[in-house]
Amino acid sequence: MNVRYLAGRDPAELLDPAAPFWKDSRPEPLRLVGTPSSLQPTAAVRAAWPDARIGAIGAVTVDAVHDGTQLAFRLEWEDPSEDRAIGDTTVFPDAAAVLLPSVPGAPVITMGAPGVAVNAWYWRADEERAGRQVVAEGLGTTRTVDHELVRTHATWKEGRWQVVIARALRVDSKEPVAQLRAGESTGYAVAVWEGSRGERAGIKSYSGNWRELVLAPVA
Amino acid sequence: MVMDLNKCIGCQTCTMACKRLWTRDEGMEYMWWNTVNTMPGRGTPRDWEQMGGGFADGQPRPGRLPTRRDFGEAWDFNHDEVFFGGQGDKVHLQVKGEAPDWGPNWDEDQGAGEYPNAYYFYLPRICNHCTHPACLEACPRQAIVKREEDGIVLIDEDRCRGYRFCMEACPYKKIYFNHQKKVSQKCIFCFPRIDQGVATACARQCPGRVRFVGYRDDQSAPIWKLVDQWKVALPLHPEFGTEPNVFYVPPIAPPRLDADGNVDESKPRIPDEYLVSLFGPDVLRALEVLKGEMAKTRAGGRSELMDLLIGHKWKDMFGGFDRDPASIEWEKGA
Ligand code: SF4
Ligand code: SF4
Repeated sequence: MNVRYLAGRDPAELLDPAAPFWKDSRPEPLRLVGTPSSLQPTAAVRAAWPDARIGAIGAVTVDAVHDGTQLAFRLEWEDPSEDRAIGDTTVFPDAAAVLLPSVPGAPVITMGAPGVAVNAWYWRADEERAGRQVVAEGLGTTRTVDHELVRTHATWKEGRWQVVIARALRVDSKEPVAQLRAGESTGYAVAVWEGSRGERAGIKSYSGNWRELVLAPVA
Repeated sequence: MVMDLNKCIGCQTCTMACKRLWTRDEGMEYMWWNTVNTMPGRGTPRDWEQMGGGFADGQPRPGRLPTRRDFGEAWDFNHDEVFFGGQGDKVHLQVKGEAPDWGPNWDEDQGAGEYPNAYYFYLPRICNHCTHPACLEACPRQAIVKREEDGIVLIDEDRCRGYRFCMEACPYKKIYFNHQKKVSQKCIFCFPRIDQGVATACARQCPGRVRFVGYRDDQSAPIWKLVDQWKVALPLHPEFGTEPNVFYVPPIAPPRLDADGNVDESKPRIPDEYLVSLFGPDVLRALEVLKGEMAKTRAGGRSELMDLLIGHKWKDMFGGFDRDPASIEWEKGA
């Protein structure tokens, strides 16, 4: 996917899923599949979640722009139920994340490996605009490294989520997070969790192996 | 911990001791890490015994999440109106909003059986700090730990992301979800007290002297004597496969009465099958031992077991964790 360069945007505009500039692009459609049951980290989760139950959301479209400083992803998918709040102990919110390698060649399917981290920019419907910056070095090792650098904005309209997830290309962090530069390319993957089906943690749909993400140079 | 069900009077002092100490923050309103329910009964959360979880033949058995209604919401009462509104002689105390249909002790004292042979007993419950903790083993984030030194099972709230796999997996349904902090929480066996040699609040506050505390393998302490030596204390639902570390001395009800009102010793008032369904088949042997020792004392003899269960010396019930909490300078918690 090519990430268009847009000169000097207001951060609020960049976060707006309805901003006019999204209209002139061709978002990339991605097929999503459920994460394999056999890869879930605990026997209890594997027993409760056979493959057939995992992966409620089968498709998402992805688009992205950057302004030389900020990179914004826009995800859109069909979801008849808007699950925002955790109203009850049995209720889970919708969520989505963009995954980037912190280190080239980090494996997607195992969420990184020791010493080769992956970096997720994570949105959850009950957490308003503050996204999470998450680092993982293997299954079950994800940790939120900050709650400030990733910004999100989501709207749910007519059975569709439109979610923008943004972060600065380069950030000041001691953690193994992705550091990006205009004009370069990296990989990306996407995951979506369907709250109404109890999806959370490793129970999600994802886009498979890394796809190419080419950041246009600053013109 | 061992709890002697023959001594529990269902006063809920343990419940309130725990509530005041640990679950007073926002998001914890509906939590009762300690509950006391009337048995037979549906329990807390409602029908928890049918919610699955734990292990069957060593394999995790899928469980179901209880809802907040199953636990029972923390009700808001019209205190203002009754106590401060000058209406005290007209309005009565009632729950604000929608009428509740369940609460943590909803079927109190109902029990089962027909007059004059009705029966019930109280079952206090906390987290069992299991040897094979289904909660810990279900968590995909290793957010639950079992302390090496004493086996206390704790949730690390910094690692917990509120996924509630533990809540599904715990067959005793002793995990609560904090809707404010969005993390799971549970009984901590008063570990800050234990670390200072002080028994749990539920045990110290219990006016019935129901609860014994101590290390399982300390042969001079009551737990080993009751569980391993006398074998009169048994885990609840051993078939759930988690190997609880809370044990119960099973209840012996008064004898049955026949149609003419005479004592009928031919069968027990609490059906054996019911106790077996709760504590497994070993409960019958435990009851025999208890009855035998009771008969001994009734005949004027002495019984070491009865002396132990009576708890003549209160402090001896705590297996060395008998320091007075008032003698300690506690650091104010965060
Ligand atoms: S009772 Fe439940 S919460 Fe407590 S240790 Fe056992 S499985 Fe875990
Ligand atoms: S304080 Fe003791 S007697 Fe009262 S309900 Fe609790 S365990 Fe039973």
